[in-house]
Amino acid sequence: MDGYDAALHLLDRQVVDREGQLVAKVDDVELTLEPDGSLVATGLLVGLPALLPRFGDRLGSWLLDKYVQAGEERADRALPGVIEFELVDDIGSGVELSVLRKGLVRPRTAEVPAGVERWRLGDLLGMRVRCGDLPKRSRVLDVRLAGVPHRTERPLVTGLVVGPGRPGSLFGYDRKPDLGPLAVAVVVRRLHRHVRGVDVGPGVEIDRAANEVRISPGVPLLPLL
Amino acid sequence: MKRYFAVLLGVLTAIGGFVDIGDLVTNAQAGARFGWSLVWVVVLGVLGICVFAEMSGRIAAVSHRATFDLVRERLGPRMGLLNLFGSMSVTFLTFIAEIGGVALALQLLSSVSHVLVAMFVAAAVWIVLWRAKFSSIENVLGLMGLALIVFAVALWQLGPDWSELSSQLSPAEKPAAEGWAVYAFFGVALFGAAMTPYEVFFFSSGGVEERWTSKDIGVMRANVFLGFPLGGVLSVAIAGCAAVVFLPQGITVETLGQVGLPVAVALGKIGLAVVVLGFFAATFGAACETGLSVGYSLAQYSGFQWGKYVRPREAAGFHVVLLVATVLAAGVLLTGVDPIMVTEVSVVFSALALPLTYFPILVVANDPDYLGEHRNGRLANVLGVFYLVVITIASIAAIPLMVITSMGQG
Repeated sequence: MDGYDAALHLLDRQVVDREGQLVAKVDDVELTLEPDGSLVATGLLVGLPALLPRFGDRLGSWLLDKYVQAGEERADRALPGVIEFELVDDIGSGVELSVLRKGLVRPRTAEVPAGVERWRLGDLLGMRVRCGDLPKRSRVLDVRLAGVPHRTERPLVTGLVVGPGRPGSLFGYDRKPDLGPLAVAVVVRRLHRHVRGVDVGPGVEIDRAANEVRISPGVPLLPLL
Repeated sequence: MKRYFAVLLGVLTAIGGFVDIGDLVTNAQAGARFGWSLVWVVVLGVLGICVFAEMSGRIAAVSHRATFDLVRERLGPRMGLLNLFGSMSVTFLTFIAEIGGVALALQLLSSVSHVLVAMFVAAAVWIVLWRAKFSSIENVLGLMGLALIVFAVALWQLGPDWSELSSQLSPAEKPAAEGWAVYAFFGVALFGAAMTPYEVFFFSSGGVEERWTSKDIGVMRANVFLGFPLGGVLSVAIAGCAAVVFLPQGITVETLGQVGLPVAVALGKIGLAVVVLGFFAATFGAACETGLSVGYSLAQYSGFQWGKYVRPREAAGFHVVLLVATVLAAGVLLTGVDPIMVTEVSVVFSALALPLTYFPILVVANDPDYLGEHRNGRLANVLGVFYLVVITIASIAAIPLMVITSMGQG
């Protein structure tokens, strides 16, 4: 269980440039599905076009529609800004970049290189999970990325945190056994007693068209709490 | 030597900065109707704000993240936005009340209607927010706010029967004419006045503004654990003055002039001059703090550059928010709304909005990713969870009590 959790450690954090100037919040994270089937974090998405869809399926798309309508003359209205993942220097209480903020964020063009697909972390979080060994209402609660910040390794998606509940409601209590205060930890752990970790690989199929993740029988489910 | 001076200055400004329009009005009203039988709530509230401010100050010192950064990180954009809406509304309401309070203080001085004065006060507040250095705002107005110590002097000069006054400290000494629902309503209002959410937004963002590091935790704690309780003593003195002068006559407090009246009774013109200066400094300082807090919370939710530690042009969006908030507040006061009534509403809504910001701070204060070795110890967690329960109860009770008692009239 090394690496870090994209929703817990990356999403909604403050982005800070090399000199400590504030840039934006991480409104969403861009994941790229490479031809070999691996899923890699490639960019931090910023701005309302990245944030609004995260307000939920219906409310989010309604808000984005209204936002686009309010500036319908602009071709790039629905495109979020992107900060390439290579520019991330360190991930702590904020996301530190190795460059200055001036002229940094550019709109993410709609064209995609051949053979790859671009996903968003926000689409993955909250996706239904179909698995015989998990409660029916299970969803994707978090996405685990490999490596540590300031790394040579690629930020590869290595696993999913799945179970009933809402993304973000674990508050990090799945990560550290001794995280206090005890009273809150007991309540959160009790509410999330069915939460499991699963490694991405054979037997775990992320179907974006059907908006669900299918886990075959026999794939090991790791208890987290 | 310099370090001791920094601690002393911090403590003094914390005392002077603790009392704002909410504390002035609510404590005087509660004192006039209930004597000292609600002092235990002030003690509870002051200890609560110490616990809350110490945690968020520590987080700001170690991780350089202020309160609303953490709210969004832990609650996500949806709950975070709901929280932002609630907290910003309460802070904005308090901002209106503080500007109105400054105008009322100037009205006491000049007899010019506060509706007219409010515009000029708002303009002055904006200029200070735009031009003045962060530390000057805090130090000058905090030190001037110490003039409110005159309430303690006045109480001593009024020469009450101390044994009788201290026998009122038990909740059982509630005046028989008042019902328990009204007693509870004023309890929640006093709690909200002591634990106003903006105090924590301002305190933690101020830590980032002043570039605290983990070395400053000691100074920060001295400010919190000496300054806030001594500020709380002023609150108790305000209630005591009202209890001595108004309670036996059955007079209720409805104006800022009445809040200061016991001081004039005890100390004459000089006392009155000092108390008006204190009113002015306390409300003007709090107006700056609440105005900044509106900008802080919006910027920290959205991620754009905020703060007075950078030049205004580097944080243009932040300064636009401050300007818009000030203009809106002046507009509301121009309708002729009574600032005292805005204050009464704002302290109740403060109690309502507290749990949403308190909970994420409590969780993050335990997280070694943010705080490393400085995370909460056992004492901080016992107190932290105790206050989580108290704050939740106060929040749930606030609106029903407000309705049942028609804002404490019943």
